[in-house]
Amino acid sequence: MENYTKYKLKSTEELVSLLADKDNLFVVACNKCFKEFKLVDEPDCDEFQKIAAENGKTITGSARIDFLCNKTQTEKKLQDLIPEGTENVIVISCGLGIQTMADLAGKPVYAASNSLNYRGHHGMALTRKSCDACAQCYLNITGGICPIVDCSKSLVNGQCGGAKNGKCEVDGNKDCAWEKIYRRLEKQGRLEEFLNQPVQIRDYSKVNFKVVNDYVKAIREERFAGYYGGVHPSERKEFSEHIALERFPEPQTVVIPVSQHVGAPANPVVQVGDTVKVGQKIAESAGFISSNIHSSVSGTVIAVEPRLHPTRGGDCLSIVIQSDGKNTLHESVQPHKDLDSLTPDEIIEIVREAGIVGMGGAGFPTSVKLKPNKPIDAILLNGCECEPLLTADHRVLLEFADDIIFGLKAMLKTVGAEKGIIVIEDNKPDAIELMKAKTADCDNIEVVTAKTKYPQGAEKMLIKRVMGRQVPRGGLPADVGAVVSNISTVKAISDAIRKGMPLIERVVTVTGERMKKPGNYIVKIGTNVKDLIDYCGGVTGDDVTIKMGGPMMGFALSDVNVPILKGSNGIIAIDTDHTEPVACIKCGRCVDVCPMELSPLYFAKYADEENWQGMKDRNVMDCVECRSCEYICSSKIPLVAKIKAGKNAVRGMK
Amino acid sequence: MLITQLKSKETIASLVNGKVFIINCQGCKEVSFPEKEAAEFQKKLSAEGKVTGIITTDYICNPENMKLRLSYHQAEIDAADMILVFSCGVGVQTIAEYFEDKKVCAACDTYPLPGFQGVTPLEYKCDQCGECYLNLTGGICPITACSKSLVNGQCGGSKNGKCEVDSEMECGWERIYRRLAQLGRLDLIKCPTQIRNYATDAEVSETK
Amino acid sequence: MKITEAFERGEFVVTAEVGPPKGFHIEHMLEEAKTYLSGITAVNVTDNQSSVMRLGSLATCKALKDEGLTPIFQITCRDRNRIALQSDLLSAAMFGIENLLLLTGDHTKLGDHPQAKPVFDLDSVSLIHTVKQLESGVDLGGNELVGEPPKFAKGAVVSPCSDSVDAQLAKMERKVAAGCDYFQTQAVYEPEKFIQFMEKAKQFGKPVQLGIVIPKSVGMCRYMNANVAGIHIPEEMINELKADKEKTKAGITGVEIAARIIRECKPYCQGVHIMAMGWESKVPSLLEQAGL
Repeated sequence: MENYTKYKLKSTEELVSLLADKDNLFVVACNKCFKEFKLVDEPDCDEFQKIAAENGKTITGSARIDFLCNKTQTEKKLQDLIPEGTENVIVISCGLGIQTMADLAGKPVYAASNSLNYRGHHGMALTRKSCDACAQCYLNITGGICPIVDCSKSLVNGQCGGAKNGKCEVDGNKDCAWEKIYRRLEKQGRLEEFLNQPVQIRDYSKVNFKVVNDYVKAIREERFAGYYGGVHPSERKEFSEHIALERFPEPQTVVIPVSQHVGAPANPVVQVGDTVKVGQKIAESAGFISSNIHSSVSGTVIAVEPRLHPTRGGDCLSIVIQSDGKNTLHESVQPHKDLDSLTPDEIIEIVREAGIVGMGGAGFPTSVKLKPNKPIDAILLNGCECEPLLTADHRVLLEFADDIIFGLKAMLKTVGAEKGIIVIEDNKPDAIELMKAKTADCDNIEVVTAKTKYPQGAEKMLIKRVMGRQVPRGGLPADVGAVVSNISTVKAISDAIRKGMPLIERVVTVTGERMKKPGNYIVKIGTNVKDLIDYCGGVTGDDVTIKMGGPMMGFALSDVNVPILKGSNGIIAIDTDHTEPVACIKCGRCVDVCPMELSPLYFAKYADEENWQGMKDRNVMDCVECRSCEYICSSKIPLVAKIKAGKNAVRGMK
Repeated sequence: MLITQLKSKETIASLVNGKVFIINCQGCKEVSFPEKEAAEFQKKLSAEGKVTGIITTDYICNPENMKLRLSYHQAEIDAADMILVFSCGVGVQTIAEYFEDKKVCAACDTYPLPGFQGVTPLEYKCDQCGECYLNLTGGICPITACSKSLVNGQCGGSKNGKCEVDSEMECGWERIYRRLAQLGRLDLIKCPTQIRNYATDAEVSETK
Repeated sequence: MKITEAFERGEFVVTAEVGPPKGFHIEHMLEEAKTYLSGITAVNVTDNQSSVMRLGSLATCKALKDEGLTPIFQITCRDRNRIALQSDLLSAAMFGIENLLLLTGDHTKLGDHPQAKPVFDLDSVSLIHTVKQLESGVDLGGNELVGEPPKFAKGAVVSPCSDSVDAQLAKMERKVAAGCDYFQTQAVYEPEKFIQFMEKAKQFGKPVQLGIVIPKSVGMCRYMNANVAGIHIPEEMINELKADKEKTKAGITGVEIAARIIRECKPYCQGVHIMAMGWESKVPSLLEQAGL
């Protein structure tokens, strides 16, 4: 086992002398640090307790805490943990964990371990000493071999006279760094360049701990801004954020799956050969949690058969309609009464009938959300669009501001909430400004700017950020008096009321560094993704990954002959990342970024062991599948796939 | 886990000689990566026609995956006269080892990040001195909390409780003194004179 | 002569300090020292004071000794590791320099070479320990010295008017435990604080010399209040300097103030250490007014 743990238990003699004048010990052991993840519980805690017992000490209790240095989580775990009668807290950890405990314990804290001197060991896995972070990188003049770390004297102007047979005077097993540097430069024909270097003098003032400390403080604050965890992937929204909406040309054929939402698939109400019109219901909601499906074109049904579904990894019953190109509206598409005259129940019925589902990707039937069984204080309109690359909601905010405000007012009326809050991330200043201006005279609508952080758009994170309320484990937003809705969904509500138009089209961002002509398009549901990509000039190069949705939560499309769905906010073409998962080294990054405050590393381990009960106990069902853990994973473990497997298994356990 | 900052534009420009293949490492981006500045510089370089390829990846220091990823860009790398790496010093050296015949340059300087152990950096600091003093100091690290890393008590430089080097930094030894007083452990002041051992890195080498 | 001998004889020991120049021409400095400081017990030589690079302390000590003065070799931990420090201590012994003042030293960032590597391999306490060890004939590495081991009067500093006086006393205690023979203090402007401090420091049974810096001007006082650790000059004292500008400029007011502080504190301490900062010429009149 490769052991990179940064501390080790002090020797027995040292411990005996440490304990000489101490008794009634509570033992806290850090249970996770750089080390291949094989044991759930590290052995140090037991070893120490054995030594303490042999010396006649009373142990009042012990705790193993993962990543003791993670103060947020440690603080929660410590509550009421240390029993009465404890006089001394003994900590087995690196210096960070000990200091965390010394701050939190309120009792004398003693270290039973020594941090190892890992200076210079950085990077993912502390496997070798290679960078001392001198703040004045010399690698450019040394052929990429570090003279600070590799040379025992950290010489920066060339070899000393101490090397013998190419070995260092300090360590006969160590190659002289400057001989290595010389040979490397010679090989690359760069000796001249080296000889012409000015004399190098190290500047020790460059490592300015004040700057570093301020920086660390700032990123810690950012880490906790609004809610625990989260990540900041490259936004890359500049490809399409300023490109105005364009209507995608009329598709010749649309393929409309009867399952585009959470819940039961809809039942087709048309047959092959039927003539249909725009807005005509072609499949009927099959239960409380289900949704109607409407035709997005006028034409003829040419097939009702299983077709490849873009996000379900298999075929799904779909209604295939050949367009007549005329876009004839169905007679049912009629504006409803004005908002003041509509009752909440009437609005819910309109929304249900129009087949409106959450358009941020989840596809939960909106009419169900509008009938919460608890009092609602506020409706949060999610205009964060925290997924990188995507700009669909951003364009909808800019180009359909009035519809959004209308839709929000309709929602407020329906659930009887006092307040509507439009939340927009600070990377969309134009949308913030516009919405603020448009809502200036609405007392019950507020525009909130949120500092960009993924996955802000996840409803639980949004509620925490904006309202400071924590949705309980397994709970819903309504449990804390909130309803969250996506921007495009609200626009669809407005269309349903004002035009009588069901959900038959949506805004899709077609973008990515490998997409030739990125843009934002109004696309009919059922439009072929390949047609959309071709219309945008196709992709550049081969080895491209196409995803439906954003780079974080989107679904990779192995076949682009699939339709756009109600929840398809983007089609992206990005570089393929080729990785192979390697062993988990307990670097702790996944724990640090999980916005649900879970410990994803356990999910990887337990999924491999098919320990589904373990996954359940670690609250796998709370995972929102935001993929932050997988994004940050230094071992490139496909965590979300493992979590999904766990969730399926746990569901099966019931 | 380290902080990287872009070298000055002039310095990087002076490194560029012929065609360049660029590697960005964003593995530690949640901690630090000069993303904007790097992109701006690379855009300019691309416009000048000097770039054969750019990859943005994570954890260059994860050697297996890096090899795999680079294998898809062999042609672009072959076409380049040099490789410019935007990463910490570990990443640059990993790449330099793969391409012994090619000039590999660092576009960033790397700064130490105190306190990174298990999760991204903390307010706390630990310099990994290898001979923990926390038992003598009430759990406040004198190596990092004191600018001079003194291990036998306060120097005479603190003013209004602040350090002589940084007037916003609290004197570490005053903090220690207060903590010990609070814990009723001022007797620890009477411990033997402490002399640091700077040879503790050997311990790490031995355990490897 | 060791300064400790003077303390043992019960003398009220007077010392003053000189700062070597940035350059190697020390004729002027020597002349001043001979003229104004020859009557006092010993003369401290600062070690790259305030982290500003100057002529070496050891060489200057030797020059003073050659002129018949008794030097106190100030030695800081900022610029040398334990090898160089011990080596310089032996060099001092060879020159017959017997008095040491052992300090941690200002941080390099405060001086004129902020890029320099701050060493701090040892600190004041471990340096005292090191000297003690050398005196026992063994170096810090545990190796025996050749021949008779050196013997020094080991001095250290303490800051009685520091805002963290408890931490200072704790450090003082550690210095005593490590083998310190006498103390010189940071400049004192608040006699009552000094007296309170001495009440507590008495228990260590080591002689303490009151530190004095002659207040030269209102500007200097304001600067020290803002920037110098352990110094606080009361507003009344500053007003005294303001009252008669000519008198202050001539140094008369400053000397009056300093003499008054010495008189007030004398019953509580075992000597005085004057940091003249270029006003060496005022030392004789200060001592006279202080009744020494």
